[in-house]
Amino acid sequence: MIVCVAVVGHQNNPLYIQSFTDADDALKLHHIVHCSLDVVDERVNNPKKSGPTLNDTFLGLLYPTENYKVYGYLTNTKVKFILVTTDLDVRDADVRNEVPCCIC
Amino acid sequence: MGREVSESCIDNLLTEMVSTYCNRFYANKPELAARRIEAIGYQVGHQLSERYTMERPRFSDHLEAIKFICKDFWFELFKKQIDNLKTNHRGTFVLQDNRFRWLTNMSIEQPPENGTSEELSIVADNKALQSMHLYFPCGIIRGALSNLGIPCAVSADISNLPACSFVVRIKA
Repeated sequence: MIVCVAVVGHQNNPLYIQSFTDADDALKLHHIVHCSLDVVDERVNNPKKSGPTLNDTFLGLLYPTENYKVYGYLTNTKVKFILVTTDLDVRDADVRNEVPCCIC
Repeated sequence: MGREVSESCIDNLLTEMVSTYCNRFYANKPELAARRIEAIGYQVGHQLSERYTMERPRFSDHLEAIKFICKDFWFELFKKQIDNLKTNHRGTFVLQDNRFRWLTNMSIEQPPENGTSEELSIVADNKALQSMHLYFPCGIIRGALSNLGIPCAVSADISNLPACSFVVRIKA
């Protein structure tokens, strides 16, 4: 179940953040999104470590926290889409297919 | 995707835009009119590049982004690709289009060989007016490249119509 979606501009400015849980969790989700921005930058600036997925727009699982999984997608214009989900059984490929649908 | 617009509408709109900015809004200030038109082009290019790079994998370097402009972007805008791309490998690229769509309806005026100074100045004025029409596509290219993370300056050259060259200088 997706609990939070965020769209972040190319200067790491938030363009859209929407969380889909109760209000008191919202701040924690914002914090998770904020931390994941660092992971995105790391993936982009370390071509050797990211391996064959260098030019892929979909960055895959950014980092798992205790209850959530965070996925990232980076467009050519450096706009980042961050997806926070609680579904622990979800596979990479499923999320990869969902994101382009969200963009359109 | 989505709605369509007739091409002659676009042509007329652009001609009218240049004419309005040059003759009505900034009547005696061609530099301001040029800058305004270029700014409109910048916005258009910015938004179009967002739309056209949606499905593609990311670009690895500047050359890839310029090639994208020459091929996919130009094809989406003008139904053809850039005919010739030259570079000095030091941040300057020349994009040449041998038949630039928005200039096809512009008359090609040969300067008279033994013309009086009056005739020559009229020809020079016409050249200046023609170059006003190029600020919009220059702005589009600049906007698209800026959105891809490449700040640059774009200028155009129409020494032989209807061919048109755009010179892109990447700012270090």
